[in-house]
Amino acid sequence: MPIYAPTLPPAPDLHQGHPPALVLMRFDFTRLWRQKIGRFFGFAFLMMLLWKVARIYVDHLLQTNQAFRPMQDFAKTVLTQGADFQADLLNPASYLLWFLVALVGGGLVARDTLYRVRPLMYAHPVAPKDYLLAKLGFASALPFTILLPFALLPWLMSLLLAGTSGPVWVTVPLRLLPAMAVSSVLMGSLAVGASSMAATPRAGIGWVLGLVLGTGTLATMIHGLTGIRAIDGLNPVMLAEAWPQLFVGVEHPMVAWLPAVLGTAFHIGIWTFVAARRTRPSEVVI
Amino acid sequence: MIAFENLEVRYTATATPALKGLTLSLERGIVGLLGPNGAGKSTLLKALLGLLIPSRGSGTVLGVPLGAAGSSKLRSRIGYMPEYDALIEDASAYEQVAFWGELSGLAPEAARDRAHEVLYFVGLDESRYRPVSGYSTGMRQRVKLAQALVHSPELIFLDEPTNGLDPDGRRRMLDLVLRVHAELGTGVILASHLLGDVERVADQLVILDQGQIKAAGSMAGLRKALAKRVELRFLDPLDGAKEAALSDLGTMLEARNGLYDLELTEADPAGIFRWAQLQGATLVQVTPRHDRLDEVLLRALHPDAVQGSGLRPTPPEPPRLDQAKPAPDDAIRGSGLRPTPPELLRPDQAKPAPDVPSTTDSSALREC
Repeated sequence: MPIYAPTLPPAPDLHQGHPPALVLMRFDFTRLWRQKIGRFFGFAFLMMLLWKVARIYVDHLLQTNQAFRPMQDFAKTVLTQGADFQADLLNPASYLLWFLVALVGGGLVARDTLYRVRPLMYAHPVAPKDYLLAKLGFASALPFTILLPFALLPWLMSLLLAGTSGPVWVTVPLRLLPAMAVSSVLMGSLAVGASSMAATPRAGIGWVLGLVLGTGTLATMIHGLTGIRAIDGLNPVMLAEAWPQLFVGVEHPMVAWLPAVLGTAFHIGIWTFVAARRTRPSEVVI
Repeated sequence: MIAFENLEVRYTATATPALKGLTLSLERGIVGLLGPNGAGKSTLLKALLGLLIPSRGSGTVLGVPLGAAGSSKLRSRIGYMPEYDALIEDASAYEQVAFWGELSGLAPEAARDRAHEVLYFVGLDESRYRPVSGYSTGMRQRVKLAQALVHSPELIFLDEPTNGLDPDGRRRMLDLVLRVHAELGTGVILASHLLGDVERVADQLVILDQGQIKAAGSMAGLRKALAKRVELRFLDPLDGAKEAALSDLGTMLEARNGLYDLELTEADPAGIFRWAQLQGATLVQVTPRHDRLDEVLLRALHPDAVQGSGLRPTPPEPPRLDQAKPAPDDAIRGSGLRPTPPELLRPDQAKPAPDVPSTTDSSALREC
């Protein structure tokens, strides 16, 4: 038997809260935290980060300790150096990141569709653009946040160990942060667009992976048939890999600046458009 | 509270408008919105929430014009309880009510405090930390009501709030609806196809079908009219003259197997006995007809389908409300409803809640 309150006091003042997009993003983060899928990815990303940091330290030892001098030449042949090394700070992580984005981003909009929560959101002071901004913001902020230590921690360690002559360029954050931002927005928009087409979170994961791998395969096939290298700019995985390289000055073997810009703009534009269309109020049924 | 004139809403995918020229004015109270599936109830709620822009006509909700740029702010003054389960299954009732509170504009801390208060108000005090996926239907409905109330709205839209509830749960939910209006002074629009629910809580009634208002009026007027209906049975069958003399009492709606269905001119049963004594007829049965709200709905929706159902047949063309002229008397006779809503729903006819400021004050109306 429920126990009811004798009465309900008046609510505090409205319009004191955070913007709706921020509230939505915070709630998505709480949901993600509850899902506990971060354990595997957290471990994997941590191992990658430790490897990067360990390499900086080993490089420092090779440079400073005479005992390791014989190994220095060998290390130069096995490990990437110079500009390639700077770009490589992000690349391995970005591959695994696609799977995390698919797992998390695939359910971002689809879960609201499944639970039919979106119409109720629009019955509150939430505009469709707030909703879209929140989803895109969260889906883009997630990979950016994960990539952030990959750019900053090795740079910081290199500075501490060897100053400006360390293996990581002093200007690396200025180059990698924009690259990370572009890659993250690309991942986020693709995930949100794919998720908006799915009816369940699992289907959303399938949609993200299907779009990522499908467009990549399609681009590779067209490249193979026509020999036009610029078509590879449609491959989202390759784009995410290319941006750090382009920003640090390494010429990517498949994607140059123009195809990268066009391909990224195409993906961000089309998937944001799809998400906006699929989440507009006229699509909902009250 | 709500007023619209010649309101037409059209979905882009369909040629026929979903709402066809509705004209209505509703005062603060509990308004029952009745109609079959596809009648346009949900579309009307969507339009009132500002989610659909009217293709024609105009209207105001709480003083804010429909489709205006400020409709987003208007929604912070409105609570909405949808018909379906719009619950976040992996979150607890407390988390999601706080979330909806924040979305309505409450500060995070205030929203959390408020979630506790409102969940206690709807009777979910002890279960509020459990994920809603394990809730019963009644509890889920109460969570939905809680999210609609969390920001103290001036007006709430309840779409089928008793769906799937057992009789006890239904009674509790309707009690809550009554409390919401009586204690908090919140206006309520209750969309339902369950006549009993509407009859129990509403003080105004709007019957909608095929995008048109078929009838609208105050429940007080409806109850008064229904109280005038009686069924009479006499010991001996009445002859023609006596049958004709029954018109002294009121309008005979139907005569069948010695049973006379009358709508009395005066709600005075003593007059029946005086008439019987005068005519020398022996009454064996006088049955008041208080429970025929379903017939009102039927008469309003299907004027042709009431033959033999105890209802008087109505003209084939139900009167249009937007013509703003009185309908023929026999269109919805005995229902207490007239298809001229603005006239019928004058502020002086609406039943104000005891603790709600009277809506007869025109300045208060403007302020709303």
